Amino acid sequence: MSNAEDNKSSHDQLSSQVFLDLVDSVIADVASECHRVARLGLDRDLEVVEEELRLSVEARAKVADPSNNLETNTKYVVDIFGQSHPPVATEVFNCMNCGRQIVAGRFAPHLERCMGKGRKARAKATRSTTASQNRNSRRNTSDNNQLASGPPGFEENVRKA
Amino acid sequence: MARSVKHSVNRPPTPDEDVRDSPERDELTLGEIINIKLVESGEKENLMELVRDRLVESGWKDEMRIACREHVKKKGRKDVTVDELIRVITPKGRASVPDAVKEELLDRIHNFIRSAAL
Repeated sequence: MSNAEDNKSSHDQLSSQVFLDLVDSVIADVASECHRVARLGLDRDLEVVEEELRLSVEARAKVADPSNNLETNTKYVVDIFGQSHPPVATEVFNCMNCGRQIVAGRFAPHLERCMGKGRKARAKATRSTTASQNRNSRRNTSDNNQLASGPPGFEENVRKA
Repeated sequence: MARSVKHSVNRPPTPDEDVRDSPERDELTLGEIINIKLVESGEKENLMELVRDRLVESGWKDEMRIACREHVKKKGRKDVTVDELIRVITPKGRASVPDAVKEELLDRIHNFIRSAAL
């Protein structure tokens, strides 16, 4: 019966429409979420990747540049096989923490940032320690002042009681 | 338009009250009717949740997020807009929905339309 068939095909079209509508909504959600992360700079990897790329390139350039090393030639250690090693290790490997490709010579500062600043943990840590240090030192000085003026007030209260 | 009062917010004029319940509004397409029924019955909400769950499970959402990050890396994170991201990932997003998920969803929608007795 053609009527049923027509019905079915229009049903199909309607269903597809609804389905696409749903998918578009989810796409919009994902886009919104990513936009927020990007604008708030929550995706550390994004900025750091650019910075580290730059630093690695710098490091490699410094190593490759021969004129740079003429003055610091004393640092070139020549081993028993006659091989000389550059002062900045040039080998690239993958960081076991974040999986990125790192120039060995830049690994230490990378780890510092990679492990320490995961969620601004490093900033938080320094904030808490310096804050507690400040508080302690302030408390000590104020206590000293009170000691000087304390006794008279205390004696007065005792007399009243 | 008779209403020429200046508002600080631009918005279309409030529709007249008698138009709201008017049955003579044949301008409602079948698609719109279905949509209204979906929302009113709560089925739309259920379908949304189902779609989201399935797309997350299948890794589709992660793929989309990677695509977004790639675009953000290219454009620079300060310039990017939501519309732009939507525009960039929609074709890929629509195309990469797993067939099983699509089948499941279409099935449910079909059943709903049939049971809505249209």
